[in-house]
Amino acid sequence: MTDIATRATRVVATTGGRSRHNGGGPRAGTIAAFLLPFFLPFVLFYLVPIAYAVWQSFLVVRRTGGQYGTSYTAFGGFEQYVQVFQNTEFWSSIGRIGLFGIVQVPVMLFVALIIALLLDTPLLKLKGFFRITAFMPYAVPGVIAAIMWSFLYSPQLSPLVDLLKAIGLQPDFLGPGAVLWSAANVSTWLWTGYNMLIMFSALQAIPQELYEAAKLDGASNWAIAWRIKVPIIAPSIILTTVFSIIGTLQLYAEPAVLRQISSNISSTFTPNMLAYAVASGNNYQQAAAISVVIAVITFVLSFGFMRLTSKRAGL
Amino acid sequence: MSNTVTRIRLAGVVIAAAASTAGLAACSSPTPSGDASAAAPAAACEPAKGNVTLQYWNTVPGMDQVVALWNKNNPNIQVEMKNISTDQYGIIGNALKAGKAPELAQVGYDQLPSLRTQDAFVDASACADAVAAKSKFVPWTWSQSSFGDTGVFAFPQDTGPMALFVRSDIFKKHNLEVPKTWDEYAADAQKLHDADPNLSITFFDPNNAEFFNGLLWQNNAKMYGYSGDKWHVTVESDQSKQVAEYWQKLIDAKLVRTDLAHGSTPMYAAYQKNQIASYIGAAWGYSMFRDNLPDQSGKWSIVPMPTWGSSAASGDWGGSTVAFMKGNTHLYESVKFNSWLNSDPEALAMENKLGGLYPAATAGLELPALSEGVPYYNNEKIFDVFAESSKNIDTSFAWGPTQKTVNLALQDALAKAAAGDGKLTDAISAAQASALKSMQDLAIPAVAGN
Repeated sequence: MTDIATRATRVVATTGGRSRHNGGGPRAGTIAAFLLPFFLPFVLFYLVPIAYAVWQSFLVVRRTGGQYGTSYTAFGGFEQYVQVFQNTEFWSSIGRIGLFGIVQVPVMLFVALIIALLLDTPLLKLKGFFRITAFMPYAVPGVIAAIMWSFLYSPQLSPLVDLLKAIGLQPDFLGPGAVLWSAANVSTWLWTGYNMLIMFSALQAIPQELYEAAKLDGASNWAIAWRIKVPIIAPSIILTTVFSIIGTLQLYAEPAVLRQISSNISSTFTPNMLAYAVASGNNYQQAAAISVVIAVITFVLSFGFMRLTSKRAGL
Repeated sequence: MSNTVTRIRLAGVVIAAAASTAGLAACSSPTPSGDASAAAPAAACEPAKGNVTLQYWNTVPGMDQVVALWNKNNPNIQVEMKNISTDQYGIIGNALKAGKAPELAQVGYDQLPSLRTQDAFVDASACADAVAAKSKFVPWTWSQSSFGDTGVFAFPQDTGPMALFVRSDIFKKHNLEVPKTWDEYAADAQKLHDADPNLSITFFDPNNAEFFNGLLWQNNAKMYGYSGDKWHVTVESDQSKQVAEYWQKLIDAKLVRTDLAHGSTPMYAAYQKNQIASYIGAAWGYSMFRDNLPDQSGKWSIVPMPTWGSSAASGDWGGSTVAFMKGNTHLYESVKFNSWLNSDPEALAMENKLGGLYPAATAGLELPALSEGVPYYNNEKIFDVFAESSKNIDTSFAWGPTQKTVNLALQDALAKAAAGDGKLTDAISAAQASALKSMQDLAIPAVAGN
C-alpha cells in the first residue's frame, strides 16, 4: 500500500513539476486533489469495512430481559476467535480447500503455462483464434459457468454422463468424494485462460534478441521454452500462483452453485461458505472473526509463498 | 519489470484479503441501544393527519398489481412496494440495522421468532382492528404470528398445508391403493421398487430442512417451547426420531431417491421420465407440477398426507406473514392495508392467481378459484384436500429463534446420513445441538428438554 502511495506521489510530483513551468498553484493541494479519487473510496470501501469487521470480531452478544428482551454487544476480547479455533467445521473447510488448492492450482497453472508457451511459438497458426478461445471461459461469469457445469454433472440432464454410461462407466460427479473435484474442474475451466493471458503477455515482453542469441548457440525450441522463457516469466507465474492461492481460500461461487443440485456440498464446505452461513444466522461477530482468520491465513500463505519463491528466484 | 510485478502482487493481496472481510462488514450488528427495558410497549394507533405513504417489501410475484389496486382506491394511504426476492432476509436485516426498515415486510413463519429476537417488529395491539383480526385467520397462523397471543406482530398471509401428490396412473398400473398411513406408503414403496427398480415412490432431499420440519410438525414433534424465562429445545424427541428412523429405512432399502434437490431441473427431469410415483408437497406445489410438467396433465391426484396413527394430522411447509416492522409510525394505516391485503376476497383472489398464494385467511379458503376443480388434476377439487389439511395442523407448533442456523445444521447432517455417513437420527441430534449452541452464541436463554 505504501508502495502504491509512493508511486502515486512520484507520478503526481512529475506532473507538479511540469505545472510549475506554467507558474501553477500550490503543490500540496494538487497532490491531494489527485490522490483523493483513489484514497476516498479506498478508505471508505476497504479500510473502514476491514476495521469494522475486526472491531466486530472482538464483540459478543449480550441480552437483557429474557426471551424477546433487548440484545446489545459488549467487548469480548478473543472469545469469538477461541470459538473459531474450536470450530471443527472451520478446520474441515480449511482442510478441504487446502486439498483443493494443492491439486487444482498446480494443474491449472501448468495447463496455463503450456498454452501460453504454445501460443508464443512461431510454429502455431491462427494464434489470435486460439488465444481468444483459451481466454473465453474467463469472460463467462463464475456463477453462470458453475450452473452450466452443474447441468453437465447432473445424471438426469447431462449428455456427458449418458456418453460415459454408454461406454460402461458409472460416473457420479456429484457424489461425496467427487464433488470437490467437480468444483475444482469448474474453477480450472474458468481461470486457466486468465492465468494463461498473464503469462502470455509476459512472454510477449521478452526481447526477440534473446531467442536469436539462443538459436545461434544452438538451442532448440524446447530448450528456449524451458531454459529461457519460463525463467524469465517466473515473476508472472508467481503472481498467478498468489492470485490462485487467494482465489482458492475465497472459494465460494462454484460450490455454492453446485450445492443447488448436490446435497454433498454442505453449508460449511468452504471457509467463505461457513462465514456466510454464520452471518445468515445473525451471528455477525462470529462471522467477522472467521473472515479475519481467513484474511490472516491468506496473508500468511500469499506473502509466505512470495518470500519463499523470491529468494529462490533471486528476485 | 519485477518492481511493477511486486507492486501489483502487493495490491492484489491487500485487495483480495480486504474483499474477504468487506463482504461481511456490510451486514454487521447494531450498536447497543443501552436501553435494557424489556419488550417495547405497544405503539399508539392514531390515524395520521395528512396523507400517508407506506413501504411494503415482499417476494410475491404479481404483488405490484394488488398494491396498484389498493392505491387506486385509497388515495390517502399510498403503498410503495419493493420486491426483495433476491435476498429477502438479508435485505430486511440490513434495513433494520440501518434503522430504515419498511412499515411492512413479508416474513416467513419460521423466521418470525428469529426476527423478533432481533427486535424487528412493533406490536400493533393498540389498534383494535389488529386484535380483532384474530378471528379472520386459520388458528395456527395466528398463534405463530402473535407468538401465542402476546401481541400482534404480523398478519398471516399464506400457508402451505401439506398433502400427497400421487401419479394415479402409476399406482393403478401396479394395482396399488392410495396409501393412508406411512406404513402403507412404505409398503407401496417396496412394491413399486420390486416391480421396477428404476421407479421410486418419492425422493428425499436432505438439503430441504423446511420439508423435513413439515414432516416433524405432522408427527406432533414440538421443537421449541418457552417457559420460566427460557427457551426449551426439544428438537430431539421420540416423535422427531420416529420420522427420522422411518426415512432412514426407506433410504437404506433404496426405496427413495436422495440425489434430487427439491425444485431443481434434475428433479423435474426425474418426474418427467416417470421415475418417481409421488410427491409430498404443500398447497403451493400444485402449480409447480402444472407449470413444469404439462405433459402429465390428468395423471396426478392430490390426497391427504399419509398419517402416523389413525387420526388425521397434517403439517405445514412454507407460507408467510406480513409483519409490522420496527419504526412503523403509521400503525393505523398499516393495519388497514395489511388487513385488506390478507383478508379481502378480491385481494386474496389476485394473490392466488398471480402469486400462487394459498390464503391464511379462513375467508380465503372459500374463494371461487379454490372451490373449483383444477383441470391439470383431472378436475379434482384439490383445494378441498388442502383446506382439510389446513384444519388438521397442530396449532401449538413453534419455531425457534435461530431457525436458519438450525435448519442448516439439520440439512448438513441429513445430507451426510443420506450419503451413508451416519444416520438421520444423528441429524436430529445435530439440530438439537445446533439450536442450543446458536442460542447461546446470541445470548438467548435456552435449556434442553422440557
